[in-house]
Amino acid sequence: MENEKKGIVFKGNNEGLVIVIPDDYDFSKAKAEIEEKVQNAARFFRGAKIKVVYRGITLTPEEEDEIRNVLDEKSGAIIESLSKDDESKLNAFIAKRPKKVPVSSHKLFFSSDDAGPCKFVRSTVRSGTRIEFDGSVVVIGDVNPGGEIVASGNVIVLGALRGMVHAGSEGNRDSFIYALKLKPTQIRIAEAIARMPEGSDENKICPELARIKDGIIEVEQV
Amino acid sequence: MGEVIVITSGKGGVGKTTTTANLGTGIALQGKKVVLIDTDIGLRNLDVVMGLENRIVYDLVDVIEGQCRLKQALIKDKRFEGLYLLPAPQTRDKNAVAPHQMVDLCEELKKEYDYIIIDCPAGIEQGFKNAIAGADRAFVVTTPEVSAVRDADRIIGLLEANEIRNPQLIVNRVRPDMVKRGDMMSIEDIIDILAIGLIGVVPDDENIIISTNRGEPAVNDSKSIAGQAYRNITRRILGEDVPFINLNNSDGFLAKMKKLFGIKPA
Repeated sequence: MENEKKGIVFKGNNEGLVIVIPDDYDFSKAKAEIEEKVQNAARFFRGAKIKVVYRGITLTPEEEDEIRNVLDEKSGAIIESLSKDDESKLNAFIAKRPKKVPVSSHKLFFSSDDAGPCKFVRSTVRSGTRIEFDGSVVVIGDVNPGGEIVASGNVIVLGALRGMVHAGSEGNRDSFIYALKLKPTQIRIAEAIARMPEGSDENKICPELARIKDGIIEVEQV
Repeated sequence: MGEVIVITSGKGGVGKTTTTANLGTGIALQGKKVVLIDTDIGLRNLDVVMGLENRIVYDLVDVIEGQCRLKQALIKDKRFEGLYLLPAPQTRDKNAVAPHQMVDLCEELKKEYDYIIIDCPAGIEQGFKNAIAGADRAFVVTTPEVSAVRDADRIIGLLEANEIRNPQLIVNRVRPDMVKRGDMMSIEDIIDILAIGLIGVVPDDENIIISTNRGEPAVNDSKSIAGQAYRNITRRILGEDVPFINLNNSDGFLAKMKKLFGIKPA
């Protein structure tokens, strides 16, 4: 996170230091890079008493000792312990962390976890434009009539949806379509197709969510 | 250094040619040097609307193929000082011109003229590509019809894809009485969909048909309300801040003329 280039990343938590080693690193490469990083940050570590955990590759006890020696010598910190970060600790750490955003108990948005990667579109999707994506699509702008979005995951339109959207195009029936103004020419989720009822109030912004219920597409206000 | 403006719409029959003729004439009346280029090769109209059909000797393709000099093909409009027309040939097709040739032509004209206004053909094919190739700025003409707005939307997307940023909208043939009854899309509805800046609203006006048939641009007719709208757009092109005509009254024609002072800010 702190580093632009991919490589070993140092992170702090409330117990000490977490070293994240990329999976494709071998021991000698990891050791050399840790040495370099610690040396650069020696002033920061000096005199501190830290517990160190690492993630990514698994090291033998001998290799752990070597890394520990490197840290001891180069950082000037007192290394209380060095161990591989195990899942339970990580989870405990996550659990302890204060929640930044209260997650809505409304389960709607999180019902399909396997929506894949996400593409952001930061412009109006105009007539004649077709956006196809293996994953979810978020449009910051409108989708105009004649514009098409086809996504294997969910589709979220932060604007008016007036065009055609197909969510769950690979057959994922848990996919949903959400728009601040849902006035599409047609929406499709998996193999279900729906048109909008005609003649509803045009200019009101009321966020709506479409998803499959009992085999047909249902739209509800959110 | 001049500016090249392309007038385009996607859909046919919304008033590109009329708009080109009126804006070109309007700018010339303000004392600028203007060239109108008709790029609708094979279906030329601009010369007819301008009343210059019988003076065509050379045309756009003759210039591009080097059959004549640029100066020879430009028809000088004797009624309006500083107004020239480069007509399209009627017997060729759109493939007679390539976009890079239009760019060269526009660069050449920009050296000597203040405004080059290009009348784009309907459609999104070769003719459209030629017309927008050399443009610095684009005006998208639409009418308050769903089909015209749909096509305008497509055109705006294509303009943006061709690096012509911030096209501006001209809504033509608006009938305030129908808008009021809810039978016609309002300007707000159109802008809500197209999401671009508005440079002019031209009300539906019988005088346009008369003046078009006569080959005399309505912009020169002080009695025409559409002519007034075109004069306003002309001034906006030249950088003036002109309020929009208030169309929200169902009074008679004379009352409309009296109420030409704008209400809505730009």
